[in-house]
Amino acid sequence: MHQPVIAAVGAPTVGRSDLPGRDLFSVALAEAFEELPDPAELVEAVYVGNQSETYEHQIMYGTLLAEWAGLRHVPAERVEGCAAAGALALRHAVKDVRNGEHEAVLACGVEKMSAGGTGGATDALSAAFDRALEQRSGITAPSQYALLAQRYLYETDATERDLAAIAVKNHANASKNPRAQFRDEIDIDTVLDSPSVAPPLKLFDCAPVGDGAAAVFVTTAELAADLDVTPVAVTGTGAAANNIAVAERNMTEIEGARIAATRAYEEAGIEPADVDIAEMHDAFTVCEALLSEAVGFAPKGTGYQSYHDATERDDGWTDVELSTSGGLKARGHPIGATGLLQAIEAYEQLTGGAGDRQVDGAETAFLMNEGGVADAVTVAHVLSTEVSG
Amino acid sequence: MSERLDSESPLTLPGFFSALADGDLLGGVCTDCGEVLIPPRPACYACGSREIEVESLAREGHVYTYTEVRTPPPAFEADAPYTVAVVELVSGGRLTGRVNAPYESVAIGDAVELQVRAPTDDELEIALSYETEWPVHVFEPL
Repeated sequence: MHQPVIAAVGAPTVGRSDLPGRDLFSVALAEAFEELPDPAELVEAVYVGNQSETYEHQIMYGTLLAEWAGLRHVPAERVEGCAAAGALALRHAVKDVRNGEHEAVLACGVEKMSAGGTGGATDALSAAFDRALEQRSGITAPSQYALLAQRYLYETDATERDLAAIAVKNHANASKNPRAQFRDEIDIDTVLDSPSVAPPLKLFDCAPVGDGAAAVFVTTAELAADLDVTPVAVTGTGAAANNIAVAERNMTEIEGARIAATRAYEEAGIEPADVDIAEMHDAFTVCEALLSEAVGFAPKGTGYQSYHDATERDDGWTDVELSTSGGLKARGHPIGATGLLQAIEAYEQLTGGAGDRQVDGAETAFLMNEGGVADAVTVAHVLSTEVSG
Repeated sequence: MSERLDSESPLTLPGFFSALADGDLLGGVCTDCGEVLIPPRPACYACGSREIEVESLAREGHVYTYTEVRTPPPAFEADAPYTVAVVELVSGGRLTGRVNAPYESVAIGDAVELQVRAPTDDELEIALSYETEWPVHVFEPL
């Protein structure tokens, strides 16, 4: 068993870009390999997280991006799991390095969401829902999460104001992140006064449509040392699929997230309380509340307190800092790249490179990436400054 | 599992929708753990058993959670806004569908009944070739 590490990362600023997907990837790759030999001298395999071919009418993203990286004849494939595609790509790279299949693997993600307008994105995302009963009822991503939020507000003490405060917190974090789509701080009224999308969710409860790409270079601790770059260890990975239709799942206890997280914690040999920083999948504000409970940071029914400072949350909460990048809400959510953007934030935090948003003494990071509605598929990773082997 | 999985079987979508078109809501009931599967399918997601019995389910239930679609997919623009809900049937299964009532008049716990209608012209426009005969389910308040 080899110790997989992340040795280099790159990503353009998320947002509406004039660059097509492959060019966004080129920007990500150039940044990741700035201090390294050319990819062709190192990379043995490529995994590409990518949600949908409808944005650019393009599949074969494994082949295409390997070619654009100058990697002829390496194994390369697209990985699909809606918004969890990025973390699934990372997981494949980590497992390849861990089991000795490859010494150096490129995990990347790309999504050109703006290409078909908001209607195109709405339509493309709805393909993640069960075709037979859900899609034919005209359900959308915001309305799916509104179903979760409505039930969460019904069962807990949380209010729409609490959910709004999660968005405010994540916008404040993103204001310090040069990779973020939104750099402006907002207040509670910005959220509460924004147009209703699917009650109780408003526009500012929702992650934006954006274009993005990310490149994460996964290799062994030994090769990272030879290359003289700062490594961050990937000490745990876990994934779990659950029913595609959210109606058939527990809607206030996100079981798949709990199982994926537990698997990652066990591999890493840690408890939830050991996590210093976590990037959560806040595609909608309610997700941060639900996921905080599912992955063991918050007691049941208190996840909505995630926007408070650690000292002001209920007893039983850990002191974890959540989504220092600004999360999906404000850093941005270019679907197939999102899981890797989470890894990039953790890499920068754990290597002391997070600038104004640096969390002092951060040693252990947790990533939670989900695809479909809530835990249709969830992927968890644990990253650590402690590199062995 | 001896039953043939062809388009007549209620364990396939054509079999389920063909019964639904006649007003018969079929569910798979797991004989090992009791989970209710809508539509019926060959294996139980709760316990993995393949011992699934297909039964006609009562069409009444109550609203478990609900919302209103105010930013619809392009194909459903003419219908918006419309109410959708997750409904828990008295038989135990849960499924998502539209509610034929304004959002403001719906609440968690409301009694509803599943009914079906033929797809509209707009819906037929985006239907896949095998979906054109499949009815669309709608929850009517009771």
